[in-house]
Amino acid sequence: MPINEVKPATGGFSFDNYARNTMLNDKGFKAPGVIKTGTTICGCLWKGGLVLGADTRATEGPIVADKNCEKIHYLAPNMYCCGAGTAADCDATTGLISSKLELHRLHTGRQSRVVTAMTMLEQMLFKYQGHIGCALVLGGVDINGPQLYTIAPHGSTDKLPYVTMGSGSLAAMAIFESRWKKDMELEDAMELVKDAISAGIFNDLGSGSNVDLCVITKDGVDYRRGYDRPNERVQKERSYKLKPGASTVLTSSFRKYVEVLDGDAMDTS
Amino acid sequence: MFLTRSEYDRGVNTFSPEGRLFQVEYAIEAIKLGSTAVGIQTSQGVVLAVEKRATSTLLEPSSIEKILEIDAHLGCAMSGLTADSRTMIDHARVEAQNHWFTYNERIKVESVTQAVCDLALRFGESANSEEALMSRPFGVALLIAGIDEKGPQLFHTDPSGTFMRYDAKAIGSGSEGAQSELQEQYHKSLTLEEAKVLSLKVLKQVMEEKLSSTNVQIAVVVPITDDFTNKKKGGFSFLTEAECQAVIDQLA
Amino acid sequence: MQMYEEQKSSCPVKVPVECRFSPYTDNGGTTLAIAGDDFCVIAGDTRQSEGYSINSRYAPKVYQLSNGSVLATGGMYADGVTLVKMIEQRLEWYRHAHDKQMSSGALAQMLSTILYHKRMFPYYVWNTLGGLDEDGKGAVYSYDPVGSYEKQKWNCSGSAGHLIQPFLDNQIGFTHQKEKAPLTLERVVQVTKDAFTSATERDIYTGDNLEMFLVTQNGIEKTRVELKKD
Repeated sequence: MPINEVKPATGGFSFDNYARNTMLNDKGFKAPGVIKTGTTICGCLWKGGLVLGADTRATEGPIVADKNCEKIHYLAPNMYCCGAGTAADCDATTGLISSKLELHRLHTGRQSRVVTAMTMLEQMLFKYQGHIGCALVLGGVDINGPQLYTIAPHGSTDKLPYVTMGSGSLAAMAIFESRWKKDMELEDAMELVKDAISAGIFNDLGSGSNVDLCVITKDGVDYRRGYDRPNERVQKERSYKLKPGASTVLTSSFRKYVEVLDGDAMDTS
Repeated sequence: MFLTRSEYDRGVNTFSPEGRLFQVEYAIEAIKLGSTAVGIQTSQGVVLAVEKRATSTLLEPSSIEKILEIDAHLGCAMSGLTADSRTMIDHARVEAQNHWFTYNERIKVESVTQAVCDLALRFGESANSEEALMSRPFGVALLIAGIDEKGPQLFHTDPSGTFMRYDAKAIGSGSEGAQSELQEQYHKSLTLEEAKVLSLKVLKQVMEEKLSSTNVQIAVVVPITDDFTNKKKGGFSFLTEAECQAVIDQLA
Repeated sequence: MQMYEEQKSSCPVKVPVECRFSPYTDNGGTTLAIAGDDFCVIAGDTRQSEGYSINSRYAPKVYQLSNGSVLATGGMYADGVTLVKMIEQRLEWYRHAHDKQMSSGALAQMLSTILYHKRMFPYYVWNTLGGLDEDGKGAVYSYDPVGSYEKQKWNCSGSAGHLIQPFLDNQIGFTHQKEKAPLTLERVVQVTKDAFTSATERDIYTGDNLEMFLVTQNGIEKTRVELKKD
């Protein structure tokens, strides 16, 4: 077969690049790795809309950097987005898309659609080939009703009735898989999302502290910051206030301020 | 014993029908050919005294070593085939050092004695691929003296691997006479100085030669204070010839 | 995998394949020991973890070895368990050979030699030994995995060791302070609890339960306090 002859696709998967990739790997090329997202975020649909949920722990390696951070970001009046992964990337990405959506609304004079936001996020993340480290759960209500999406760091998306993301996604998904039903009542959906996030908080070391919820219906948004706080710190046994002068002063020197009598006046022209 | 002599005294690990191991018993007999050694325990320390039997006038008396240091707090006097004691003393020294290395504390007198006695029956043919150490029993008895947390102690070991603690003990050729003398003279309130004198007095009675500072040797283990920790511990030392003479002078 | 092998064999460049075996893992957790004049407190959390997962909320890593010594083991849990078994065996042997209980000083030295004997394939354990010495004074010994050890007044190691140690320097050692409060058992217990509740706030590998051993002349008392579980 001539080398330039194009063979029509016969369907199925293609492993054309497999040998090349193996060779590249063997030569020391390091393919982009999967990032650890110390977070549990999720969302589910119910009869009248959707509920988003997130934990509030932010980590830097093994250390808790923020015990009560916000992971449910505003995108539009009818849309919110949970972010997992690099905190700065999540803030910047949601902020950028949020402003683009606002400009789009001003231009069109219509309510933003969830697919629009999803497509913008997807295209942006794909463009950066995974270097923007954020995994998102996007939820909103528009003329097509309530919709839930996940967007992975490389730009792939899913549209599902219940979704989870982050390092606690398996713990949270376990709760959804056992208890989610179609057309639930609001109270049941909120309880379910709370329990899904709690599963992440207690069983995933990357997640912790409190549960934030965000309920979105066609009538508006109910953002419930600190909906559940199962991890309040206990009272300390002692007070660690030091009395003034507890430390030894090794040396001290006192100076009177210097008055300059003869000198040029400051140029104030 | 010699009347019942039979083929059973050939194998070192064969019991006679009367339940005896002749070779071990003979080894114990061998000790009775050795020079006399005496050990006396007091509340102030332990005294070891030995007779240095010179077989020739040309022999350098200081080359006879019948008392040896095992560790800083442990001393040992011997009688019998003193060459056999090399193996035992080496083992005791290694055991004492290992204990210090592993536990950062001085080994107990009883423990080091037990360690030495563990060697005693490792003679004969090897069993299940285990290497036999020796072809015959040791022909030596030891008096192990030392100080540990239980205070000054004196132990006696024999070739059967049996060890016992004594207030005062004599071994060697003159041991029978010496032991009965110790039996009469020993009492619990004996001072260390009195014990030194007693040990020589006992030796003098059983020695063939005239006792002098060259043909006896005395060593003591006494409580001393550790320079670093300020804690009490045992200290082994030999008496110098002059110190020895001073004890002899008190004999008369 | 089979596909990989086939592709590899068709690959023009043949290279040796390196296989690696990683026998160690860090199961997290924090241990602490503080020596007082006539007591010693040894504590550790009970969370056992690997990566972002919790293996157990109650896997104690502090062990009472004798009636005067307590050992806290951090690092790889399996190695800690094996090491403690080994020590318990050696304590028994020692008791039979020498007809006495091993002192904390002797145990400290023995642990060092046990660790160094595995110099080339170490137990992946950071030990802290606490107890009373021959004079009844509190004693703490801390170790690295190959047996280097030091007698200390207080020590904290493990995943939150670097968070707690300076706190102890300040509250137990009173560094840079003119007044030094007397170190009572009550105070040490309070400081220990606060150290662990605070470490639980900021270290993801510390939490679930705190187990404390209070060693005094009257014996050893074990107490447990709940920690946060997130």
